[in-house]
Amino acid sequence: MISSEDAMKKPQPAPDADSAAFWRGLREGVLLLQHCADCGHVQYYQQAMCRDCGGENLAHRPASGRGKVHSFSVVHRAPGPAFKADLPYAVLLIDLAEGPRMISTYTGGNPEEVTFDMDVVLVCEKISDDVTLPRFRRA
Amino acid sequence: MTANSLRGKVAIIGIGMSPVGKVAGRSPLWLAADAAMKALADAGIGKRVVDGVLSCHAFASPFHRFSVAFSEYFGIQPTFSNTLQVSGATAATMFNIGAAAICGGLAEVVLVVGGDSLLTGLTPDLALRSMTESRDQQYEMPFGIPVANTFAMTAHRHMKEFGTTAEQLAEVAVIQRRHAARTPGAQQTTPITVDDVLNSGMVTTPYHKLDCSLISDGGAAFVLTSAEQARELGAQNPIYILGGGECYSHEHIFLMPSLTSTGAVESSRNAYRMAGYGPNDIDVAGIYDCFTGTVIMMLEDLGFCPKGEGGRFVADGHMTYGGQIPSNTHGGLLSFAHSGMPGSLFHFHEVVAQLRGQCGERQVAGAQLGLVHSLGAGFATNATTILGTEHTL
Repeated sequence: MISSEDAMKKPQPAPDADSAAFWRGLREGVLLLQHCADCGHVQYYQQAMCRDCGGENLAHRPASGRGKVHSFSVVHRAPGPAFKADLPYAVLLIDLAEGPRMISTYTGGNPEEVTFDMDVVLVCEKISDDVTLPRFRRA
Repeated sequence: MTANSLRGKVAIIGIGMSPVGKVAGRSPLWLAADAAMKALADAGIGKRVVDGVLSCHAFASPFHRFSVAFSEYFGIQPTFSNTLQVSGATAATMFNIGAAAICGGLAEVVLVVGGDSLLTGLTPDLALRSMTESRDQQYEMPFGIPVANTFAMTAHRHMKEFGTTAEQLAEVAVIQRRHAARTPGAQQTTPITVDDVLNSGMVTTPYHKLDCSLISDGGAAFVLTSAEQARELGAQNPIYILGGGECYSHEHIFLMPSLTSTGAVESSRNAYRMAGYGPNDIDVAGIYDCFTGTVIMMLEDLGFCPKGEGGRFVADGHMTYGGQIPSNTHGGLLSFAHSGMPGSLFHFHEVVAQLRGQCGERQVAGAQLGLVHSLGAGFATNATTILGTEHTL
């Protein structure tokens, strides 16, 4: 159960052994994708094993940052008090140019302007000394 | 049918429900225990006969082992118990696993039970925040992505791909409200129109407030036992579990193979195969309805209409009386009650009552075969159970 005090704060990602390099990359301004040297699979969600072939020969490469909106939803009622000040905001499912799909939010414009298949580009948004979030603006 | 099928081997011999809606001053454990008392009374047995307990978690309860805490509260010491957690799909998995446990000799009489108090046990903000907590801590939560939003993005894509309209989504809420008006104890019974839904304020596009399920208190319970034991106990009107199927296609919404085709295709296919029946044979359905669009997508994926035609199917009256598959005849999570994970147990309560012929003015005439589909976490979890009367064995 969550205390009222906790609900006032935005949740912060706590990197784990699978994702430490990914969050470090974002702090340096790049979105790292994992490329499997064995089968060529590219993955966004960070794990120390290829989801396709099970190989562990994964290389991190920065994404181009380009993508297209596959689906989206503009949030008008916040999931808790911590997000009320951000309303309305658009949550995006983005198909990255490299293939993987990821989830993020729209920045740098009116959320109501988001459309299906809209071209978007990565914005690394620093929210604290430790955490930079990958967000997207219109290309 | 697989060699080890549980088809027809286990019967539901008792059903019970606590008061639902706003039930102030009652804990999740009380709601569960009250429902369990009623289910045992309905089955005509005492609590000492129960040797198995399966539960879902409760958001408003501090217990990590709800089923164990429940047993202590209820004053029993079962020899088989677990608290299952696959979000909204948990309800149907409790029946599937309960039946498997009975078939496998782990228990003879299993109580399937859940209760939660989302409405009065948590503040609205905390209830919503609790839902967010089920999203990925690194990849989703920092962006403020409620579970409603993941479902919204599937429905939105469905609209884009198949031309499903906001009016068709709203129609689901209108129909289910009409159903709830005939269900004693339902939380929301005031009639609504499509315009009411469209004007109810946007929550997360394309979902308005009235496209979203309620926040409620309530519990439900069921007594399961073997077909032989049901006869020995002299059970009146046992309802049999004919088939079960599940599918877990992804954890994260961005790894869902397709936003518009879900694991319900696979879970229902397996349940139908085990039952030896198909979608055209089903008389009444309980379909997880956390949001209106969810029902439209499930009517397709459960095989009641072709992919992409769910919106028209609903608008043409096929999910209500006189249509192809009367669904959520109690009003569902949208209008009857939605107390978190126990919410889908109310669908089971209704479908069993329909198959027993106990639904009075909302009875689906001659209902013999029923289906309940539970799902959760942005379609990450799907579970289907097919139920039938003695005639369907």
